[in-house]
Amino acid sequence: MEQPFSLTTELRDNRLVIATRGYINNVGGEAIAEAFRRHFAEGVKHVVIDLAQSRVVNSIGISFLIEMIETLQEAGGRLIFTNLDPAVEKMLTIMGLFRYAGKENAVEDALQTFERQP
Amino acid sequence: MKEPVTLRLSLPNIPEIELVALESLERLARHLGIPDEKIGEARILVTEAVINALEHAGDGNPTVRVEFTMTSDRLTIFVRDYGKGFEPSAVEDPDNKAERLQKRGWGLKLMRSLSDGFRIQSGKTGTRITITKMLR
Repeated sequence: MEQPFSLTTELRDNRLVIATRGYINNVGGEAIAEAFRRHFAEGVKHVVIDLAQSRVVNSIGISFLIEMIETLQEAGGRLIFTNLDPAVEKMLTIMGLFRYAGKENAVEDALQTFERQP
Repeated sequence: MKEPVTLRLSLPNIPEIELVALESLERLARHLGIPDEKIGEARILVTEAVINALEHAGDGNPTVRVEFTMTSDRLTIFVRDYGKGFEPSAVEDPDNKAERLQKRGWGLKLMRSLSDGFRIQSGKTGTRITITKMLR
């Protein structure tokens, strides 16, 4: 059974890494958005969402991430997803998310991408 | 294995009950040696079908019936609610090329896109969704 949702956050050179664990539905999505809002208010504009431990997501959970992508876009920032399950990647592609957000294999890759394209 | 395996569930409308359906699906799939990528796509299909059904189940009989029929190369997912139904043709697919990303209404589009067959019947006594997914 999928584990209860939890997340950790880490700031690395003012870049926020949110690592999730468990099901991303409305509850998980809201928790991610809340963690994001706290850091965004303090000036963070580059965000990595690491989904290595989240194999199950639903479209309602993703709607919270879309809001984050829009907020970052308007502020000149960017979001990158890492460690995507292939099926989740396909889902996000269908929903058009990669037109406005990035994807990388690992968190370190995403952070390097932010270095190259600040 | 050529003989289909069938599993039936009746899910009450309680938070995250769709995870019970996913657990059952995964057990069947592992038993039949289904590749991980196909299981992942099936997970999304089941999740979206069940949350859609729970949303439309209404208060009268807030139960969702789920049935999986699986062989090593094909999965059929049947999800039924007993709500008031809706007009599927009136639901516009969100546009993934729109200028702004669309937040809601992706369930049916995802089910159509990730499946190999999708059928929806809806009326005054509820909605039935039948999804076929090839597993090889």
